[in-house]
Amino acid sequence: MSLLELEDVSVHYGRIQAIHNMSFTVEEGEIVSLIGANGAGKTTTMKTISGLLNPSTGTIKFMGEDITKMKAHIRVVQGISQAPEGRGIFPAMTVLENLDMGTYGRKDRSGVGEDLERVFTLFPRLKEREKQFGGTMSGGEQQMLAIGRALMSRPKLLLLDEPSMGLAPQFIRQIFKIITEINGQGTTVLLVEQNANQALARANRGFVLETGEITHSGTGKELLANPAIKEAYLGVG
Amino acid sequence: MSMFDGPKPLNTAKSDQASTDMESSGLTQGSSAAAPRPNRKFGAWSDRWREMPRQKQWLVLIPIVIVAFLLPVVNPPFITTEPGNDWPLACQLMAIYALVAVGLNIVIGYAGLLDLGYIAFFAVGSYTAAMLTSPDSAFIKIPYLWTLPVAIAVSMFVGVLLGLPTLRLRGDYLAIVTLGFGEIVRILATIIPAMKGQPGFQNVGHPPGVGADGIPIFANSNGTPWYWLTLVILIIILFLVGNMERSRVGRAWIAIREDEDAAETMGVPTFKYKVWAFALGAGVGGLAGALMGGQVGFVNNQKFDVVTSILFVAAVVLGGSGNKVGAILGGALVAYIPLRFTAIAEYKFLIFGLALVFIMIYRSQGLLPAKQRLLAYGTKAYAAVRKENSARVRKNGDPGAPGGTAGSGLPPAAPEPNAEGATS
Repeated sequence: MSLLELEDVSVHYGRIQAIHNMSFTVEEGEIVSLIGANGAGKTTTMKTISGLLNPSTGTIKFMGEDITKMKAHIRVVQGISQAPEGRGIFPAMTVLENLDMGTYGRKDRSGVGEDLERVFTLFPRLKEREKQFGGTMSGGEQQMLAIGRALMSRPKLLLLDEPSMGLAPQFIRQIFKIITEINGQGTTVLLVEQNANQALARANRGFVLETGEITHSGTGKELLANPAIKEAYLGVG
Repeated sequence: MSMFDGPKPLNTAKSDQASTDMESSGLTQGSSAAAPRPNRKFGAWSDRWREMPRQKQWLVLIPIVIVAFLLPVVNPPFITTEPGNDWPLACQLMAIYALVAVGLNIVIGYAGLLDLGYIAFFAVGSYTAAMLTSPDSAFIKIPYLWTLPVAIAVSMFVGVLLGLPTLRLRGDYLAIVTLGFGEIVRILATIIPAMKGQPGFQNVGHPPGVGADGIPIFANSNGTPWYWLTLVILIIILFLVGNMERSRVGRAWIAIREDEDAAETMGVPTFKYKVWAFALGAGVGGLAGALMGGQVGFVNNQKFDVVTSILFVAAVVLGGSGNKVGAILGGALVAYIPLRFTAIAEYKFLIFGLALVFIMIYRSQGLLPAKQRLLAYGTKAYAAVRKENSARVRKNGDPGAPGGTAGSGLPPAAPEPNAEGATS
C-alpha cells in the first residue's frame, strides 16, 4: 500500500483546467520531487493534496483511505502537513508561537516539547530567535520556520512547496541537506521545485510536470541523466 | 543566514518597518521581544503591564475602574461636554460605543474579517429590545432586562445566518457583502409593517426601579444609571473576550487573520472559527443595540445608517485593531469628540477622516497596537524538556549531550514507537 496515491486527478480553476488526469504514488519513507516550470501545476498539485483545493475528478488516497473529500484541517490530523509556497508563516506571531500553531490539530500534547527540541536541533537558528516575530526574519529563516512548523504536527507525509524559492545558492544546499535529514528520521517527503538539480539529486523518485500533466517519471538519477530534462530544466544543452 | 534576505511575503507596512528597525539596531539574541513594535512608548507600557504580577495588575485596575464609575458623577471640568450635551448621557454613549468597538474588534481585530455592516447587528439588538417592550409593538412583552439575553441570541443567530453563506468570501468581497447586509436590515425595517419604519417604537422598556420622586431610576434622560449598567456589562464582556483571546479559539482567530490558508493547513477549522467570530461579534453588537434602544427609549429606522457603521469601524481602527483596550479607547473617543466639540460636530467626518489619515501615517497600528500573548503551550513544554535534559546531564555527568540532541532520543523521553527514536 502506498502512503499517498493520486488517481486520475483533475483540478479546475473555474473553467481553466490546471491539472489533467494526474496519477502518481508516494511510498513510505521516500523523497519524491515534482519538478516543472512556472504554471506547470506544481503548487496546484500540492494544494490539492493538502486539501486547500478540491479536485474536480479523481481520487486521492492516504494510507489506503480515500481522503478526496476530506477538509484540509482534518488531513493535518491524519498526518499530511504542508509548508506552503511563499512560506506562509504568521508574521505577527513569535517563532515559538508559530511553531506552537503547528501543533494545533494534535491530540497528544505530551510529545510537543520533544518535537520542539527536534525542530530546534534541525534549525538551531530558530532557537536563537524563538522570541522574534516571524515577519521580521530573513527569507531563509522564514523558510526554516515554515518547515519546522510543518514538522510540529509530527506528519507522516511532509509537503514542501518550493523550499528553495528566493534563497541564496549556499542556503539552498543547506535546506536540501536538512530535508534529507528529516527524511532520514522517518518522514516521507513530497517536494515541489523549480530547482531541478538539487531536487532530483536528493530524491528517490521524481516526476516532471508540464502544463498540468506528468511527462517524465523515474528515479532521481534517471531524470537527471535524461537529455530532454537536462535541456529543459538544468540549463545544460 | 540573515545576510541572505530573500523576498519577504509581507504586505504590512508595520512588519517592513519593524524589520528595518531590527537590522539597524543590530539585533542581539533575546532582545527581540520589544524591538519589532514600532510604537515604543505605548509598547513599553504594555510590556511593563504584562510583566506585572496579577495582584499588582489589580492594584492598577481597581482605581481605573473606580474612576470610570465615578465619571458621570464627577463631571470633570475641561473634559465635560456641558454645556451643550448632558455629561452623564455622553458617558453612556461613550460606553455604548466602547462596547460596540469591543464586539467589532472580535470580528475585525482578531479574525481579520472586515465587517462594514456591523450596524445591522446593533439594529437587530435595538429592534429586539423595542419590539419586546414597547407598547407600539404587537409582540408579546417581556421585562426589559430579559430582552438583553434575547437580543444577544437573536443577533448571534442573524450573525450565523449571514456568516454561513458569506464567510466563504475573502477580503474585499466580504466587506462589500457585509456593507450590503447593513443596508438590508435598515431597509427591511422600513418595508416590514411589523417593524414600523420611520414612526418606530416609542417608550421602549427600561430596567425596573423608581426613585424617591416617582421618576423611574432608568429614565431616558438619566444617563448615570444607564452608564453604570453599560459599564458593568462592558467589564463582563471584557473578561469573556479576554479569556477567549487567550484560548485556542483566540489563537485560531489570529492565525486566520495572519494567513488563512496557512491556518487551515495547521489544522485550524477556519470556516467554523470565522462563523464563531462573526456570531460572537454580532452578539455583543446586539447587546449594545438593546442597551442603546432602552436608554433612548425610541427605536426607528433612521439611526442605523451606513455612516454609523463606518464610524464603528473607525473606532476599532483608531483604537488599535486587535487590542480590546484600544477598542474601548477608540469607541469612547469616536463618541466623545463630536459631543465635546459641538461647534465642530458638523465637521466630525472631516475630522475623523483627517485623524484616521494621520493615525495611519504615524501610528499605523492604532493608538494602542495589538500585541498578542498567545497561549504558547510550546514555551512551557520546551522549558520542561530543557530542565529535564540539564538535570539528566548533571546526574550522569555526561556533558556529551549537545543541546539535548542525544537526550531527546533516549528511550525514556521517546514513548512513541515510530522511527524518530532510532534516528538522532
